Amino acid sequence: MNLAELSLVLFGTSVLAGALGSLLGLGGGFVIVPVLTLVFHLDIRLAIGTSIVAVAATSSAGAARNVTGSITNLRVATFLALATTVGAVTGALVSPLFDARVLFGLFGLILGASGVQMVRKHPLRLATAPGRLRAVKAPPVLEGASGPDETALALQAVSASSGSPGATGGGRLARRLALDSAYFDEAAGLEVPYVVAHTGLGLSLMYVAGMVSGLLGIGSGVLKVPAMDLAMNIPMKVSTATSNLLIGLTAAASAVVYLARGDIDPFLAGPVALGVLLGATVGSRFLVRIHSEHLRTLFLAALCVVAVQMLWKGIS
Amino acid sequence: MTGPTTPTAHAYGARTPPWPRGVRAAVGRVLRAGVAVSAATLLAGYVVALVSDPGMFGSHAVEHGHLVARAVFPHSLAAIWDGIGRGRGEAIIVAGLLVLLLTPVAGLVAAAVAFARRRDWLFAAISATVLSVILGSFVIGWLA
Repeated sequence: MNLAELSLVLFGTSVLAGALGSLLGLGGGFVIVPVLTLVFHLDIRLAIGTSIVAVAATSSAGAARNVTGSITNLRVATFLALATTVGAVTGALVSPLFDARVLFGLFGLILGASGVQMVRKHPLRLATAPGRLRAVKAPPVLEGASGPDETALALQAVSASSGSPGATGGGRLARRLALDSAYFDEAAGLEVPYVVAHTGLGLSLMYVAGMVSGLLGIGSGVLKVPAMDLAMNIPMKVSTATSNLLIGLTAAASAVVYLARGDIDPFLAGPVALGVLLGATVGSRFLVRIHSEHLRTLFLAALCVVAVQMLWKGIS
Repeated sequence: MTGPTTPTAHAYGARTPPWPRGVRAAVGRVLRAGVAVSAATLLAGYVVALVSDPGMFGSHAVEHGHLVARAVFPHSLAAIWDGIGRGRGEAIIVAGLLVLLLTPVAGLVAAAVAFARRRDWLFAAISATVLSVILGSFVIGWLA
């Protein structure tokens, strides 16, 4: 295979990685790293360097579109970035102290556990079940197009069914930071309000996710999405879109280090960057349209793939 | 437009966009610009590489399922700058990658500025703190 053919294969793989990554709030490394290491037997160092480029590309191209709409919660992203970036730096600094195999194994187990939790919690989540949301009879409202009455009604319905998360301590912090918001769900055809809960717990989990990024050189969106979806009660779509923005900032904190060390090969990362940019630009258009249930299923599938990869690395 | 922390905005908190539209638009503009500049630079690098060294793309990159090791590529700022000056395709590609890696950080700078202009000092301080952590990691990275 010559360089032109290799570039085309990498470009094609990256279009897929970018489309999936921008939908799921992941960096796309879970598609690119196995292709580079398992198919082309590339040194893991260069594979991680290439993966970091994919994370930055997914984040920028994916967020560029959704940040302007209502789906990305920028206040949540900025606030949680405090914990992920500090965590990433901590992880990078302490990484020589740990055995990578133990870390990979542990990470695989954490992912398995969060996958099980997502499946268990799923039936309880009103905000992600478009069928039941329609039963609230809130008419489809465009941003700024209607009075507060319908929204207040819908908000009451959400709070009542999710055990009134606004009453918790995390809810108070979320109110102080004005994190609560709403997004327009095209698939459900209505505006979905949500109340952010357990902000402190979310911040701690984000620190751990950031640390995993720094330790293992991955985007760790696969931990960030469950942290927002499960712990903070943020709807699935908002979680993936917000994770999309966060992973770019976490990656930037380590990417320059990789570049300076010479871990980023332009003829591997170049086609990956172009492919991911294209894939993420197209993929992010579907985020508002996809059903949250389908998004969750797709995310769980990706989570399983990553968990198996990590456990395998821990064993071999 | 009322700020997101006013009592009125909170009473209908569910309808309040995550940030005022202007702030989100500013971040979106910076991200789109970064993506466009990076993609254009990457493509330009490929065109230059194809014109100046077409034989390279025909060279064997994978043999028996293994990638063939290549010569070192530019990765210090001086080497990238020098390579661009001499019209080296791979240096232009690395420059495009650097723009891409810094695009999320540029988005954060736009957010910090937009917050400060709207006198949302709490979130201006939060974004400035995140920015200083990232810049600190750059310094650590270059020194380590």
